[in-house]
Amino acid sequence: MDNQEAKFILSAYRPGGQDASDPRFAEALEQARRDPVLERWFSESIAFDAAMTEKLGAIAVPNDLRESILAGVKVSRPLRWMKPFVARAIAAALLFAAIAGSLILREMKKPRLAGWQTQALGTISSLVDGRSSFDAQSHSASQLVNWLQTNQAPVASRLPTNLETLESLGCKTFLWNQELISVICFRRPDGGLIHLVITKASAAPDRVLKGEPQLVQHGEWATATWRKGDMIYMLALEGSRDQLATYL
Amino acid sequence: MSEADFEQLVDRQYAPLFRFAVSLSKSEADAADLTQQTFFLWASKGDQLRDRSKAKSWLFTTLYREFLGKRRHEVRFPKVELEDVREEEMSILPNVNALDSETVLQALREVEEPFRAPLTLFYLEQFSYQEIADMLEVPIGTVMSRLSRGKTLLRQRLLTKEEALGNKVVSFPSERSGESHG
Repeated sequence: MDNQEAKFILSAYRPGGQDASDPRFAEALEQARRDPVLERWFSESIAFDAAMTEKLGAIAVPNDLRESILAGVKVSRPLRWMKPFVARAIAAALLFAAIAGSLILREMKKPRLAGWQTQALGTISSLVDGRSSFDAQSHSASQLVNWLQTNQAPVASRLPTNLETLESLGCKTFLWNQELISVICFRRPDGGLIHLVITKASAAPDRVLKGEPQLVQHGEWATATWRKGDMIYMLALEGSRDQLATYL
Repeated sequence: MSEADFEQLVDRQYAPLFRFAVSLSKSEADAADLTQQTFFLWASKGDQLRDRSKAKSWLFTTLYREFLGKRRHEVRFPKVELEDVREEEMSILPNVNALDSETVLQALREVEEPFRAPLTLFYLEQFSYQEIADMLEVPIGTVMSRLSRGKTLLRQRLLTKEEALGNKVVSFPSERSGESHG
């Protein structure tokens, strides 16, 4: 092994010494012990690495990031963390069904949001809070639609009629399970915001969606989801289902 | 996973994950987005991970995959040809201690992404070459190569920063002049 080869290997040697007993480094370390030039290079390289570790570990983290993560995940918590509870509730409901009839089962079948939908609400929240920015901004929705088309993002062939007259603010795309999802944000006449989320039907293969909008109240969010062709649309606003229904 | 366990996981990993993300992304906002998205995915898929001791690796791997996924849709992202990067022996080393974290981060961000990801994992969390290979899904020889060449590129960027800031470049001790490095 020459010094060049030893340097190549020792570049992966961690400055904390965790690799001292790794046989892959043994020969290169031995070489460094024998050759003073290589030894000096190695000790300076380790010092450089240790300084880099210290500097990168001191990069400031946004003060509100922790709270944002916890609050954001809370939005989707009922979907996942309630799973064991839901399973038990279903089992109990089935038992109870023999006695109480179909009322409980009907309650269990209440529509809930899928993962991509809660993620979309999280993305919208981060846009509204200013924690993330639009990919494109325009007060003209048609310009945003063109931008999304140009970037191969899912887009409506035609916007829902009641959104056409609204002023748009911007659009953003994000990935969910390798499927691209588009969000277009609009300003409502009352000053609030309303958001159109668009994705391919393949992003939600387990969801049976029809042309008729399915309304779901999810915390502060009212959502309406429907399928048209091979696309799925979700309209969302912070407010009530009645408020949302006026845009359908 | 209980809410308390999740909160503990966030407390332990959100800062290093953000630092990894910020070295990959173009902005702090994008990095925060990536970090948040990673925890969203953990909340929805993390229970599929049987070995909880691998949660940290899972988070870093997922963040990196999310970054790559987003990048595929950024048409302006410059293509990097690994073969074009020349490794040159450096006779001088930057004095990292004289630079602040922000400047060091800027220099790291200027290193092309294929080198930047393993470098950040190596420095930030002191992941082993084997762990980095698993996370980035490349052979260990490639990881070693990228670490070796990445460090050279990083030192070049740091020296440029140092010069721009007017810091004195620290050279090897004078008795070493004339010695070969290899």
